Amino acid sequence: MDLLLPLIDALSYILILVLIALGLMIVFGMMGVINMAHGELFMIGAYVMVVCQSAGLPFLVGLLLAPLIVGLLGLLIEMLLIRHIYLRPLDTILATWGLSIALKQGIVLIFGPESQSIASPINEMITIGDFSYPLYRTLVMLAAILLIGGTFWLFLKTDFGLQARAVIARPDTAATLGINTRQLYRSSFVIGTALAGLAGALVAPTISVDPQMGLGYLIPGFLSILVGGAGPLAGVLVGGSAVGGANSLLTVWISPVAAQIAVFIMAILVIRLRPEGILGGRK
Amino acid sequence: MLELDSITSGYGDARVIQDFSCTAEAGRITALMGRNGMGKTTLLKTVMGLLPITSGQILLDSAPLERLNPHERSRQGLGYVPQGREVFENFTVAENLRLAALGSSLDHLDMLPQIYDWFPILKERLDQKAGTFSGGQQQILAIARALITRPKILLLDEPTEGIQPSIVRDISLQLSRIAKETGLTILLVEQNVDMVKTMADDIAFIENGKMMEKCLLEDLGPDDALLHRYLSI
Amino acid sequence: MRPLVPLLILAVLFAIAPLFVGSYWVSQLSYYLIYGLLALSLSLVWGYGGILCFGQAIFFGIGGYVMAAMTKGMISPFLINSYLSLFCSVFAASLFAVILGYFLFAGKGINGPYLAIVTLAIAIVLERLMSNWYAMGGYNGLLDIPPLNLGLFWFDYELWDSLPIFYTLLITVFVIFAGITLLLKSSYGTLLTALKTHPERLAFFGFSVLQIRLSVFALSAAIAGLSGALFVTVDGFASPTLIGFTLSTEILIWVAIGGKEMLMAAFLGAILTRFAENWLSEIFGDYWILLLGILFMISVVLLPKGLIATPLAALERKLGVRL
Repeated sequence: MDLLLPLIDALSYILILVLIALGLMIVFGMMGVINMAHGELFMIGAYVMVVCQSAGLPFLVGLLLAPLIVGLLGLLIEMLLIRHIYLRPLDTILATWGLSIALKQGIVLIFGPESQSIASPINEMITIGDFSYPLYRTLVMLAAILLIGGTFWLFLKTDFGLQARAVIARPDTAATLGINTRQLYRSSFVIGTALAGLAGALVAPTISVDPQMGLGYLIPGFLSILVGGAGPLAGVLVGGSAVGGANSLLTVWISPVAAQIAVFIMAILVIRLRPEGILGGRK
Repeated sequence: MLELDSITSGYGDARVIQDFSCTAEAGRITALMGRNGMGKTTLLKTVMGLLPITSGQILLDSAPLERLNPHERSRQGLGYVPQGREVFENFTVAENLRLAALGSSLDHLDMLPQIYDWFPILKERLDQKAGTFSGGQQQILAIARALITRPKILLLDEPTEGIQPSIVRDISLQLSRIAKETGLTILLVEQNVDMVKTMADDIAFIENGKMMEKCLLEDLGPDDALLHRYLSI
Repeated sequence: MRPLVPLLILAVLFAIAPLFVGSYWVSQLSYYLIYGLLALSLSLVWGYGGILCFGQAIFFGIGGYVMAAMTKGMISPFLINSYLSLFCSVFAASLFAVILGYFLFAGKGINGPYLAIVTLAIAIVLERLMSNWYAMGGYNGLLDIPPLNLGLFWFDYELWDSLPIFYTLLITVFVIFAGITLLLKSSYGTLLTALKTHPERLAFFGFSVLQIRLSVFALSAAIAGLSGALFVTVDGFASPTLIGFTLSTEILIWVAIGGKEMLMAAFLGAILTRFAENWLSEIFGDYWILLLGILFMISVVLLPKGLIATPLAALERKLGVRL
């Protein structure tokens, strides 16, 4: 059983990473916008849970509010910031970086720099044979699988997804068919941010919630996209598994620093040997 | 009726289209001819809103379009078949057609039987990816896609480019038939004389971004003098 | 020599500053000079080389740690000469850049957003590595790093006082500043412009894009390494923050706010942001960082050329000179 626990922990980390990377990728794939503040949106999702907990609201209400509030914030960000720099993709990195600094500091000012803890709503363990695992973590994994599946369904099977993929492939042509590309950009951005907010809220009880937590997910998220390849959505699954799995397992088996360095070297080797990512595909 | 009134546009500081005026009469097929690099594609892109207009007016049935976004112009009734066809290669035929309906109105899917009647090949290959099609088949798909949006006027940018002559003829005949049946107005940008002679009612000539002359097909002159002058044939 | 006139004016302003301010501000100005040099290194690689490096502190930190380890005699008690140590710091920083650059730029390579992320990730990884490397001081860093010793052979001249430190840095920084300015006016500068705008054509004309990229990356790393080495001799202290994420971000903000495509603007961006921080963080406290983030956003959206570069460019046009 020494092997099973780290493997399941790794799986749960991978699923969260994929959720974050999907949000990043939707925004990057559609608009060419790199959202450096994505990690902070994830963080704010977790802080919504902090507020809900201290306000005595039920856990499920928090889970509902987090994507709503973060999605709304995403809408504001799109309207006030991103919209003005769609055509300057490199500047979006800098502008969202500025945003990330501001959001982080905003949280420090309101909640202080120290880490907060969220009580898990369910304390039971799930036991199979002599192996037991917290039920809440299991539920989070299930929820993540559903959300990932839902996102794939949205982009691959629905009319919204058809339009979104058309805009990714040929934005001008899609527009000449009457498709409102700006509107689609906006909705995709909001979907990506709401996803990050919900992910933050879901994992909040299982991690330490602090103002610096965003970056710890942003970078592996980006490395996942880089390793998996930015073309098809499935690349995120492969990249997220490689980065998240290696990171999580090596942290347990060797040390956090060694894990980070190893993941990093892996990413650099992939860049060098397979610049289009493991799955290849269009950038 | 589409009226272009002293349009100027281009890329950055380069003015490709200068003070261009032209009218495509309702229910007629107008062909705009000119050599390569004379600004034909630039003009259509400007009409669609893909390129910013510096000055001038674009009127569709007297409604000004020049301040609208491309998707709004499409909804006002401009149907566009771009140069190079630009179908969505990774989408099936059915998805390509559905996409066009999504851009305008899903009710337009009612037109599908009509479309299949005009272009039976699309019905046969509904689930095939557009990327596997030949140039001519992609062209048919691009035209069908534009027709689904129920345009008042169809803008065709060099539909014959890179397509076999026999298929060019089929497409021209089919388009004339559709125009006659439905009263669709067409503005065709083309260098292919055969296609123009098969389809067009009116012919306009563009040179260096300027409107030079416009005449009826019958008035091309003895031995196609105008064609010789503006196309150096 | 004309391009150096504005530089000279700035140098003179710095040189006479100690006549008007106390020793606290003289030592602050020394730090500003080092940060200015660091900003120049990022402006060179990003604004002129088109390589967006989010982890410029990597090279600053490498320079700083190598300098600290050598002058403290941790490598060998005989290898504590300041000049030799400076050389090794600069060399180590640019060697790291060449190796890293080879992995990142060769072949199809990566650029834009990916490069930013990868360099940022390296900075974070190195910061954690240094925090855990106990031989190099670990989390607490290295203390009691000796000051610069300008002596040669059997003379010793250690820089302990703020004035000699200030003037030594002033000369060093402005000589390098002038050097980069002249270099960018030469045909190398033209190559860099071509690299930024039309890399594929550059390859067509027989230039190796990889070599040019590597050269500018390594040169920038060398300058950053030098500033790191100078920093630890002035500060006497090398810690993992030198190599890490926060400093990398700060450099980026200085240069973006100042203006990446103009050396003078980047240099002033570092100095003015630092000055503003000294002054405003007392007034605004923790709100200062919030303000800085917002200012950064606004300057990127509204003045993509930079908050300082935009008026400087207007001044240039008015006076008809190049700054």
